[in-house]
Amino acid sequence: METQEAIAESTPVETDGQADSKRDGQKRFTLGPNDSIEGKLTYGGSMAVEGGRAEGEFRLGGNVDIGAGSVVKALLEASNVTIKGELEGKLTARDKLTLGKNAKLNGDVQVRRLQIEDGASLNGYVRMGDFEQQAPGS
Amino acid sequence: MLGPRDRVIGQIYIEGDLRIGGVVEGEVEVTGDVEIDDMGQVKASLAGRDVTIRGHVNGAVVARKRLVVAKSGSLIGDVRVARLAIQDGATFSGKVSMGAGPATAPPVKPVEVPTPLPEPQPKAATEVEKPVAPVVTTPVVAAPKITPPAIIKTAASAPVAELRVAGKDGKGKPVAPPVKGKPNKKKRR
Repeated sequence: METQEAIAESTPVETDGQADSKRDGQKRFTLGPNDSIEGKLTYGGSMAVEGGRAEGEFRLGGNVDIGAGSVVKALLEASNVTIKGELEGKLTARDKLTLGKNAKLNGDVQVRRLQIEDGASLNGYVRMGDFEQQAPGS
Repeated sequence: MLGPRDRVIGQIYIEGDLRIGGVVEGEVEVTGDVEIDDMGQVKASLAGRDVTIRGHVNGAVVARKRLVVAKSGSLIGDVRVARLAIQDGATFSGKVSMGAGPATAPPVKPVEVPTPLPEPQPKAATEVEKPVAPVVTTPVVAAPKITPPAIIKTAASAPVAELRVAGKDGKGKPVAPPVKGKPNKKKRR
């Protein structure tokens, strides 16, 4: 139910106004403070968590942004992952992972590029390099 | 300072700062800061206060304060740090443990833990006493002097102070077990 609501709310957001300019026709949805998603999600576009709650397994063709104050517990796979809030779980960033200065990350990480700002907290195993896994929708 | 043409193989302990531009293999322990320049090649376990890596490091790193892997740096090995910064372009593989999280947590816990701990103990004590209590407490109202022998029976696990409290509470039998924890708190407050 919650998942459907979240996606339903995302639908109007998919208009070009919010679309990421870096990718053409980028689909994108945002979880606001009252939104939550729980379960398994496979999505071609991007996702942003801005105060919302997200738990489960998310595989995205696009990017994931976890805003400050947001807590995500998930197995996460995406192109670019930017964390300013908290993430707990295994993370795969096919391109780049960025940890902001107040970010907290607990879990193993596989990335191609990694940027960690001073002040970020990271606990887990970091692997850098090429991927066996194929990127969905890329 | 070890220049680009310098090579050290073995164990290094330095009180102060160290800058490595050459090849180091073995074990490096520095009380101050460690800097590995672009040309530096380190195959060693590395310990220091602030550790900055611009060259190549293969080995475990302990930074008591902060570890910085610059964009030209590469680090393969497990890392234990208080603070960590990795610049875009840097290479890093290994396990990261940051003490900051767990370090702040324990000091909070001991404060909280003592309060819940005493509660289960009296409960256990009351459980043990319960079979005895109906027999003992009834005389208690009549003759409080009988409680000392009761103390000896249960004293094995429970501190005397608790039993004294129990003895006092014993006068108000029905309320006694729940009240036990509370009188202490009230006294503290």
